[in-house]
Amino acid sequence: MPHIVAIKNLSKSYDGKTYALSDCTFTLDTGKICAIVGESGSGKSTLIRLIAGLERPNTGSIIIKDTIMSNDDFIVSPQKRHVGLVFQDYALFPHLTVAQNIAFGLKENKQDIVTKMLRLIKMETYANTYPSELSGGQEQRVALARTLALNPELLLLDEPFSNLDAALKSNLRQEIKHIVNEVGTSMIFITHDLYDAIDIADEIIFLKDGNIQWHCPVKALSKSLENDTVKSLIEELKHNAEHLLQLLKH
Amino acid sequence: MLKHFKRDINQWSLYTVTISLFITIPLLAIIIYLFDGTGEMWEHISNHFLWDYISNSLLLLVGTGIISTLFGVSSAWIVSNYEFRFRKWIQWLLFLPLAIPSYIVAYAYVGLLGNGGTFIRLLNSLGISIQKIEMMNHFGLIWILSCSLFPYVYASTRAVFLSFPKSIKESTQLLGASNRRYFFSVALPLASPAIIGGLFLVFMEVLNDYGAAKYYGINTFTTGIFRTWTALEDLQSAIYLSALLVIMVFAINAFVAWRRRKKSYVLKIDTSQQQSATRKTLQGKKGLLYGMILSIPILFGFVLPVIQLIYWAILTFSEMFNADLFWIAMQSIGVALSGAFFIIITSIALIYFSKWNPIKSFQILKKVATIGYVLPGAIIGIGIIRSSQSFIDFFSNTFGLKIGFLFYGSSIILIYAYVFRFLAVAFNPMEANALKIGKNLGEASQLLGISRLKTLFKVELPLVRNVIISAFVLVFIDILKELPLTLILKPYNLNTLAVTAYAYADDERVAEAALPALVLIVIIAILMSLLNYAEKTFLKATPNSK
Repeated sequence: MPHIVAIKNLSKSYDGKTYALSDCTFTLDTGKICAIVGESGSGKSTLIRLIAGLERPNTGSIIIKDTIMSNDDFIVSPQKRHVGLVFQDYALFPHLTVAQNIAFGLKENKQDIVTKMLRLIKMETYANTYPSELSGGQEQRVALARTLALNPELLLLDEPFSNLDAALKSNLRQEIKHIVNEVGTSMIFITHDLYDAIDIADEIIFLKDGNIQWHCPVKALSKSLENDTVKSLIEELKHNAEHLLQLLKH
Repeated sequence: MLKHFKRDINQWSLYTVTISLFITIPLLAIIIYLFDGTGEMWEHISNHFLWDYISNSLLLLVGTGIISTLFGVSSAWIVSNYEFRFRKWIQWLLFLPLAIPSYIVAYAYVGLLGNGGTFIRLLNSLGISIQKIEMMNHFGLIWILSCSLFPYVYASTRAVFLSFPKSIKESTQLLGASNRRYFFSVALPLASPAIIGGLFLVFMEVLNDYGAAKYYGINTFTTGIFRTWTALEDLQSAIYLSALLVIMVFAINAFVAWRRRKKSYVLKIDTSQQQSATRKTLQGKKGLLYGMILSIPILFGFVLPVIQLIYWAILTFSEMFNADLFWIAMQSIGVALSGAFFIIITSIALIYFSKWNPIKSFQILKKVATIGYVLPGAIIGIGIIRSSQSFIDFFSNTFGLKIGFLFYGSSIILIYAYVFRFLAVAFNPMEANALKIGKNLGEASQLLGISRLKTLFKVELPLVRNVIISAFVLVFIDILKELPLTLILKPYNLNTLAVTAYAYADDERVAEAALPALVLIVIIAILMSLLNYAEKTFLKATPNSK
């Protein structure tokens, strides 16, 4: 299966001294969902901002669908990468309605695509509503629809579930998985909650202090538990670690 | 760093460099031409005038600083801590002295307190025999500048006093501290960065003043620069004086930055807990005393000068109220509108181009481009005259083209000078607001395939619309009041209200200066009240923000 994204020796430092991301290398196959898991400050956001083209790497290369997006001599602007990013705070344009937000990046068939997207996120009646009138979960769905409307080759989600309560989070996880499968795109999302990763991802990457500590299919995670590194990483994530370890063992 | 320079540099980096360098040409010119050596008159100036310029400027700074702080802090304290009749009106009236340029206040005071002045005649009619109160000296000038400029301290200090959480005051009370102790030990130290910030603006205006100092015959750096350039016809020595003044300005700037850093505190602001809820009602002797404290700056900074101007305007009405006055007012508004327009465009370009430029070291350039606000108009004027002369000579010698009329026959260089002088007035609040909105919205738009410029017009600018309008009005007011720069750079056939009022007063026809001055004050006062109203109503809400 061809790679949708190939990252090689990628490093990023904001101040020239400490590295937010250091020498990262990994690939993701087309159509797969990958979760990047790590504590705050582990370099998760930096990694997806680099893939999106919103930051410039110090070293290394990013290849998306066999096209070099950045290396030491060359960089492709975010507009030309065909990558969608759903921000943690959703970044909906507050002065535009839901329909206008979804249509924002479209050049043709605006009406048809907006209707299709509204149907996909089950928000047909909210077309003329402003973001300020939506709940967190609804904003999340509109942000997703706005990104998917452009049919991106790779979808990036920055902490998509962090602002939601537990019940909503569980529903939305399944909904996103369903939507992503339906449109047939690849997805990388970042989270500090292992439940999110195990629930919807095909692959999981553990990041710590800017380094990739472990990269494996989610299905192989229970086997990886024999490895001390993975075990300690999961314990460090704290979120019901004991319960989760039990869950994985079974 | 250099490794990625070629990869990272983009068109926005080049635009940022170009705009910043283009704006700072006047300052660069002064620095470059310093190496041409001193002018012919320099020895004469340094032997006979330089000490006067230095000592008088310092005396004005210290005196105006002290009185402005007393006026500004005391009035800010009273209006933010006490409830009394007409409080809302009074707190607005305290801003109004800013509507009158200080040189116009200076003329009015001579009419009030000079030989046979309005106030002197009033005293004489009450049986008090007095010929005049001498104002045309250092102390008179300090008083006038303080009465005109204290609102800078008042505005910044009041904003801080109003933002204090009431828990701060309550906890000092529970610790047994008196009101006096609360003021001196808690409120004043917490407000000191804001007081120093306001004081810095006062200092800059004092150093920029030309009209009042010239009229009162006090030799300051700014009057010295004019005198050296026009009367002594020695541009090179004027550049040397400008350089000395730049050093003085940077020394003040460094001192203020150091004091602010030393005194800066983080106040957790909870708008629901602000002390407006705990204002005490003023009454009795204390009420009378505080009422007097508030009335002094309003009376001396606004009411008395305006009464004198109205009196003169009535006397000269038939002579002065004519089509010329209307035409001058239109020219003033036209120049201010064009200046404000270009300043807003330049601010937007510089804010966003530098934001889109990936080379971080270029960020310093936007700071350099906004340096004009701390440079007195006379320096900018001299810098522009010197640099435009070089351009004119270059075109004449190289291509045989005479382009002097473009520089001196039109308002182009005047508008350019306003952009350099007042860029920071618009740039700083607009940049703060642009940063507050955050970069995610712009980035989201880019990732949806929209270009930077389209994103700017479709997303970013609509969200900072309010601050653009406020900045436009503030810059417009500043340009309307501006005198030294306009005097130096205006084309022959352009007359503004400020220049006309100055010209009459300089010609010892001070009564005739009143009507143009009053028109200027009325325009500014109307704009200030409109802005005040708009900020409280429709400019207050960000569109559809949560």
